[in-house]
This record gives sequence, C-alpha cells and structure tokens, in this order.
Amino acid sequence: MVDAFLFWFLAIVTVLAGLSVVLMTNPIYSALSLVMTMVGVAALFVTLEAYFLAGVQLIVYAGAVMVLFVMVLMLFDLKHELQAFTRGKITGGVKIASVGIIAGLVVGAITLGTKALELSKAGAETSKPVVDSTKALAENLFLKNVFGFEALGVVLLVIAVGTVALSRTKGGTHARD
Amino acid sequence: MQETNMLTQIGLEHYLVLSAILFSMGMAGVLMRRNLIVLLMSVELMLNAVNISFVAFSKFNGNIEGQIMVFFVMTIAAAEAAVGLALAVSIFKRFKEVNIRFFEHLKG
Repeated sequence: MVDAFLFWFLAIVTVLAGLSVVLMTNPIYSALSLVMTMVGVAALFVTLEAYFLAGVQLIVYAGAVMVLFVMVLMLFDLKHELQAFTRGKITGGVKIASVGIIAGLVVGAITLGTKALELSKAGAETSKPVVDSTKALAENLFLKNVFGFEALGVVLLVIAVGTVALSRTKGGTHARD
Repeated sequence: MQETNMLTQIGLEHYLVLSAILFSMGMAGVLMRRNLIVLLMSVELMLNAVNISFVAFSKFNGNIEGQIMVFFVMTIAAAEAAVGLALAVSIFKRFKEVNIRFFEHLKG
C-alpha cells in the first residue's frame, strides 16, 4: 500500500514537472522544472531498488547537467521569449496528433504485452534475489562490461576536448564581433 | 476489485506507462518548442523516460544488465548535453539568438 502511494505520488509529481518543462515559456522555469523531474526520477529509482543509480542520477543530472544548463541560460540573457512555440495551427495539430498516436501505440503495446510478460515472469522469479544491488552492479560493470566502460571513458575525453575547442574559437563566450 | 487492484498493485506496466508518458512529453517538447536550450532539455526528458523503463525491466526481470545500460545512457546524455550547449553558445555568438526560427542559413 505504501509502495502504491509512493508510486502514484512520484508519478504525478514527475509528470507535472515534465509538463511544465514543455509548457513554460520562460526557459529558466523550464530548467527548474527539469530539476524537479530529475529528482522525481531519482526517487522512482529508489522505489525500484536501484539505490546507487538514484544517487548517480541526483549527482550527474540534478547536479552537473542542470548546472550546465542554467549556466548557459545565464550567458544568454533570455528574459522574454518571442514565439516560444512553433507557428501554424495545422502543423502544431499534426505534431500533437503524432505525439498522441505514438503514446497511444506504446501504451497499447504495453497493455497487450503484459500477458506475455506475466508468462515469462515465472522463469525469471528464480534468478530474482538481487539484494546487494550495488555490489552486483559493480561486478557486472567492471568484469563483464569493462570494455564498454573504458570506451565510455574515451568518449568522455573526446567530448570534453571537443567542447572546449568548440567554445573557445574566436574569443570564447565573451566574443563581440 | 479489478480497479482497486490496478491502483494498489504496482507492477511493471505502471512504470512502463509512466515512461511512455514522459517520453511523449519530451517528444512534444522537441517538436513544438523553438528555443534551442528547451529542445535540449526535452531530449534529456526523453532519455530519463528511457532510463525509467530500463530500471523497471531490470527490477521485474531480476537482471542487473538494465542498470548497466542506464549508466551508459547517463554518460552519453551528459556528453550530449555538453556538446549541445557548446554548439548553442557558438550559435548564440553567431546569430545573437537561440530561437531556431532564425537559423535559416542551411536552407537551400
């Protein structure tokens, strides 16, 4: 019962925060709503017993990535935003309709596929006990997936160098041409 | 009986539907908004929705591999945000604007 209450509360908070990311016309409010969404997602990870991932979610997303977003927003000085949404009622309607169709397809597929998942769950129950999930996670990450881990390190290095090179051309963020 | 069961028994499909809703909202944001930064934020929203479904599958199937995949998605998302924001900064230097309505130099 507590689980259910927690899930519904977090789901409502996350969905409302996500909606306000899309609907707010001031970008700084969008950024703050996105922080709320990240915190909600981290709490959902806790309800799914992925404690380490919840911590990483808070540190990486709600910490690092969002600080990056807010810093760039501060560089831009966007107090008012002209035309926050796309023009055209017809194309807007088409876009909303396509999003709705996608959402309906996904939800329909989930509800239809639940029976198949129920059938396959009987076999999965035997390998269920992941009690110390952080330890299992570390073992899997550093023994089985160590190549992917190292490749991610290389990707991050390339990205860091590329980002610095990209933003330092012609005087960096304070260039006035 | 069926209704109360659906409300109190949280299963895999609840998380999947929540993930689908979040993903659709992110997609709507990418399609509808015109501010470059808000577009990037909507992409982050979509990636988070995918993370929720990965972790939900990982829990309900008793398989830890899903959480590994979430690690990789998070790293790629952070890299994507960094590169996207660097591009946004250089675009802002060029056009003095972050509204995608004004980026028409690639139009034929």
